[in-house]
Amino acid sequence: MKSPFFYLLLVVNVVLLGWGTYQALVVAPPEITMGDAQRIFYYHVPAATAASILFGINFLASVWYLVSRNAVADALAVACAEVGVVFFGVVLVSGPIWARYAWGTFWVWDARLTTSLILWLLYVSYLVLRNSSESGSTSVLAASLAVFAAMDMPIVYMANRWFPTQHPQPMIGTPNLDHNMQTVLLWNMAAFCMFGVMISWFRYGIERTKQKIDQLHIQKATAGSPAMALPALLLFQMDDKLLREKAVQHQYMVIGYVAVWTIYIGYLLFLLVKLQKMKREAASLGLKEN
Amino acid sequence: MNLSVTKLAALNVRKDLRLEWRSRDVLNSMLFFALLVVVIFSFAFAPTREESRRLSGGLIWTAFLFSTTMALNQSWARELRNGVLDAYRVAPAPAESLFLGKCLGNFLLVLILECLMAPLFVLFYNLTAVGAYWQLIVICLLGTWALVVNGTFFAAMSIRTRNRELMLPLLLLPVSIPAVTAMVTATSNVFTGDSSALVQIKFLAVFCVVYTTISVLLFDTVLNAE
Amino acid sequence: MNLDLQPGRFYVLRGENGAGKSTLLRMIAGLSAPTSGSILIFGRKTREARDRMGYMAHVPLLYDELSGMENLRFFASLYGIESDAPLAEAMRRVGLDPELTRRIGQYSQGMRQRLSLARAIFHKPQLLLLDEPFSNVDPDSAAQIAGLLGEMRTAGNTILLVTHQLGLLAKMADEFLYLSAGAMIERSLTPQVTA
Repeated sequence: MKSPFFYLLLVVNVVLLGWGTYQALVVAPPEITMGDAQRIFYYHVPAATAASILFGINFLASVWYLVSRNAVADALAVACAEVGVVFFGVVLVSGPIWARYAWGTFWVWDARLTTSLILWLLYVSYLVLRNSSESGSTSVLAASLAVFAAMDMPIVYMANRWFPTQHPQPMIGTPNLDHNMQTVLLWNMAAFCMFGVMISWFRYGIERTKQKIDQLHIQKATAGSPAMALPALLLFQMDDKLLREKAVQHQYMVIGYVAVWTIYIGYLLFLLVKLQKMKREAASLGLKEN
Repeated sequence: MNLSVTKLAALNVRKDLRLEWRSRDVLNSMLFFALLVVVIFSFAFAPTREESRRLSGGLIWTAFLFSTTMALNQSWARELRNGVLDAYRVAPAPAESLFLGKCLGNFLLVLILECLMAPLFVLFYNLTAVGAYWQLIVICLLGTWALVVNGTFFAAMSIRTRNRELMLPLLLLPVSIPAVTAMVTATSNVFTGDSSALVQIKFLAVFCVVYTTISVLLFDTVLNAE
Repeated sequence: MNLDLQPGRFYVLRGENGAGKSTLLRMIAGLSAPTSGSILIFGRKTREARDRMGYMAHVPLLYDELSGMENLRFFASLYGIESDAPLAEAMRRVGLDPELTRRIGQYSQGMRQRLSLARAIFHKPQLLLLDEPFSNVDPDSAAQIAGLLGEMRTAGNTILLVTHQLGLLAKMADEFLYLSAGAMIERSLTPQVTA
């Protein structure tokens, strides 16, 4: 995991993220009705795409595990699920922030949003199952649950096409989306998907170390997920009359951006803390650094 | 050796029903719970006749969902009490027969509950269906099977978790929500007569087929996850 | 550990608490999977040899609400046995009355364990696995069980038994296996530990 290849890709990823962000916040043309608040689009959609890819990998890894009982497959499955939940969490946070601006309300119970929430809950329940099952049966049970969860994914995607929904329809590749915006979006897609893969790789490495430690018969208390707090107070004080002001649009963009990166950075810190704890434990057991 | 899955499943059902008849704990608690839910809802909402029709789907299926969860927990609890599961796993019988037997047993119990509760619902909420009655029966059968098949599977899964009674609803509800949404919409549609429930019925049928298949295929793995 | 067991012999597994005796037995029965390595029974994998094994634990693994015969009939169906004859015979061999319609929840522990043994033998298994079969059992039932085990061994069956109470088995058993902390530390023909 500490290979030079990883660090090279990390540098590329950071550059790509910086470029994508610059494109999204500065270069991309402002949208006609929503102005700056629309820029949430540039990290909401890529986060959703990245999460879907990760959940897809989780499904494949789970099937692989059920067939071969390979520890690598299990580590990959849990890494992708956990990072996927974080990225999808970003989707579920950035979406409502935008929705408060665009529709006046944080949430509607339409097909698209409800099915997305269910999908997220499914993978959260996957993580809960991993944490509360007897060791020895965890991997098998979780892999089985992943198969069930994966069956829900097609439903989530079809919901946007079958049932009427307020959520914006898919626009990539259609004349509905301005060409410049599409370019910016694609840069950000590449950046965030790569970001997702990098974090998953890191998380996978942690999981493999954890597996090795477990094999030395040590009980580990796994830390819970961090609680993310949004500056919700600011948003709740918005008066409807002001909503169309440019300043407000700008504010929404900033809040969305800050919230999203707080989640990403918070999760990365959580992983780093976990890694530090494990390193200390591994050192005390005499496990060689890999 | 005659070990056909259907035959063994049938024997399982017979055994479960006989056990249930002798102790009657599942049926009693389910019944009482569903009754409580109906009464509490009618105090909480006090709907008019028109509202009742619109809310009917949600009310009925919430009550049944909770009762089903209780039934599922209980039915596996009985297996665990004397550690009988080990005896199953050591025997050469295929695990699918245990699973199907359990599903069918639970299915029958919940159906009995529904038959007993339905008149009460109609009574308390002044419900009369404007749409097609036969659709209600199909929705009921498909919806119950969807809940029971997933529930039995997840109940078996949660045997190996720390908070067994909490894990079952935690695992079952997210997976079931698409089916429950379809059931509720379909039931309300039939009661109000606003639109046909056929789309939801088709969805429920597909849901049942897909999830029954996956559950049967994965049950052996889950039962022997040690 | 590497373990080779010969058919037709009576093995007793001993060791302090937590040594892994029950775990080993469960792995042979197919209830637990080893983290590495494999187990072959009569040349086949455990899952495929289930019809030739009988398993008995220190809890009865039976339904309290059913009678003796009802319990046996149900479990016999899992082995493909449809007639009552072998079940009645098994019950008589363990000293229980097949006609008894009382729910086994009202049996004594000794009677329940004997019924559990009946369930383990009605399909005439070639390998019998017993995990502390004498725990909480009255001396009469214990003697009955021990006697039956002796008969089965003479008939050529292989028996693998985990126990703390050696008692009557000291003379009957062929070999004693000692486990400690998950490894086998000694195999001997006598009950005394020399390690």
